Amino acid sequence: MNIIAVSLFLLFVFVTLYITYWAAKQISNRDSFYTAGGNISGFQNGLAISGDFMSAASFLGISGLVFATGFDGLIYSIGFLVGWPIVLLLIAEPLRNLGKYTFADVASYRLQQRPIRTLSALGSLATVSLYLIAQMVGAGKLIQILFGLPYDLAVYIVGGLMILYVTFGGMIATTWVQIIKAVLLLFGATLISILVLYQFNFNLNQFFSTAVQNHELGSKILNPGGLIKDPISAISLGLALMFGTAGLPHILMRFFTVKDSIQARKSVVYATGFIGYFYILTFIIGFGAIILVGSNTDYLKPNGGLIGNNNMAAIHLAHAVGGDVLLGFISAVAFATILAVVSGLTLAGASAISHDIYANVINSSNKNEKKELFVSRIATIFLGILAIFLGIIFEKQNIAFMVGLAFAIAASTNFPIIFLSMFWKNLTTRGAFLGGLIGLLVTIALVILSPVVWVDVFHFTEAIFPYKYPALFSMTTTFFFVIFISLSDRSSQAIKDKKGFQEQFYRSITGIGIEEGKKH
Amino acid sequence: MKDISHLISIKKKMVVPLLFIIMFSYFLFITCIAYFPEFLGQQFFNSTISYGIVFGFLLILIIFIVTLVYVFLSNKYLEPEIKKITS
Repeated sequence: MNIIAVSLFLLFVFVTLYITYWAAKQISNRDSFYTAGGNISGFQNGLAISGDFMSAASFLGISGLVFATGFDGLIYSIGFLVGWPIVLLLIAEPLRNLGKYTFADVASYRLQQRPIRTLSALGSLATVSLYLIAQMVGAGKLIQILFGLPYDLAVYIVGGLMILYVTFGGMIATTWVQIIKAVLLLFGATLISILVLYQFNFNLNQFFSTAVQNHELGSKILNPGGLIKDPISAISLGLALMFGTAGLPHILMRFFTVKDSIQARKSVVYATGFIGYFYILTFIIGFGAIILVGSNTDYLKPNGGLIGNNNMAAIHLAHAVGGDVLLGFISAVAFATILAVVSGLTLAGASAISHDIYANVINSSNKNEKKELFVSRIATIFLGILAIFLGIIFEKQNIAFMVGLAFAIAASTNFPIIFLSMFWKNLTTRGAFLGGLIGLLVTIALVILSPVVWVDVFHFTEAIFPYKYPALFSMTTTFFFVIFISLSDRSSQAIKDKKGFQEQFYRSITGIGIEEGKKH
Repeated sequence: MKDISHLISIKKKMVVPLLFIIMFSYFLFITCIAYFPEFLGQQFFNSTISYGIVFGFLLILIIFIVTLVYVFLSNKYLEPEIKKITS
């Protein structure tokens, strides 16, 4: 066990728990719990958003992918990044102008509350749970390798700390934990990259040619490999990544933490800048690992392959260029990263339960802010325990498909509902609810029948649905059914739904009414 | 409710071209990967750096610049219009 890693991590825990204590004193109502009272600045929110995206999975996973395949890692990074201009151009401002706490506020703005909130909460919880499982399992395995702790204990620590942060500190603590971690991670990744490039006198040409000489694939690491083989998969993956970001509940929720649409826009610019910069660093780190880790027997198993696995490339590289100190620092940062990301996810899930399901579906006649706040805390604890439980169950399962499925659901259920409710005046409650539900079921079914689950998890020889990425089909299905059912809807509710569009659209563009919405 | 048709037309003029730039360059990138992987593997001038890497880094830059341009245009053209309506 690395003493530096453990002490730095303990320091991080101490500081973040102190922040949670400080945040807890400020949490008096729903506003402060769900959205930090809307007092986060665009710059702070941009950092926090980038923190949500720079998970341990993307830091270690993408640098590991670059280490193994070279160029292909960049395809993923760019896919994750390209969702941001979409968020900015299409939904950030109307989202801020129409919503208060969850994206369901926006989706159900002029539609019937109960069915739309239920559907949105379902979409949110599905996305959040899949993400949480992936993060928890990843966390357990990572901490097992980094700190030598047993898998179960690691999962308990992550789950326990996350419950403390979110239950007591709400969005205020979650945001600050995310900001601190984002700064640490950006600093650490920058330091590794500079130390690596320093060895090549910052000569990129020499850097890449040395990597080519060191890699068993040779110059193939500079061109696209096997990640995307056919155009359908290419477009389908592209759509999922592009529009999935605009449907992730924990990301959308962050836009309610700033005061207005000007700050919401700023958040995206800062976030895009930080995330883009970070992905460039992971690319350099991956190539650096090819040179300095892949050829050093200290980091290899006797029979080949990295100690740990390919995801350890960045960690080994930190050791190779900065010794035990940098290794300790990066390990602690990786741990902190996991904590921050699961906290954001849990808060988004808890708000879907308390604000959407409890306050607006189950108990809509009897609104009581104090009770809703209490329910959101209970929901946090419940989700935290569920995450620990699922993390332990899924330890030995193949979970590679989960983040892909989360993105597919976000792109094929959440995004169409949000987008159409904002911009299409003929959307009706029935169309959104039934179409969204069909879309959700079709997405899940296609993923189960696809090679990533049917073959890789269930071990059938051939997949029923041939493509790895369903978004092209599932997104079109949702859009088709939502539009078709809405257009054929002749109910009296449909007339009300359409009537509300004008006022909603006016507010979504001008922001008039937003102050009133905030206090409520 | 005041007339916001002018505001909407300004917004459309900003959003549509920027959206097109993003969609076009991203799907061009993806299409090259699916159809012309050899082309992306070719070397950029006399270096070891491939067209694919240059294209990829350029795309990251384009994505960032598009968000920057949008905020710049919003502050310059959109916000004064919104202020006119809200005040």
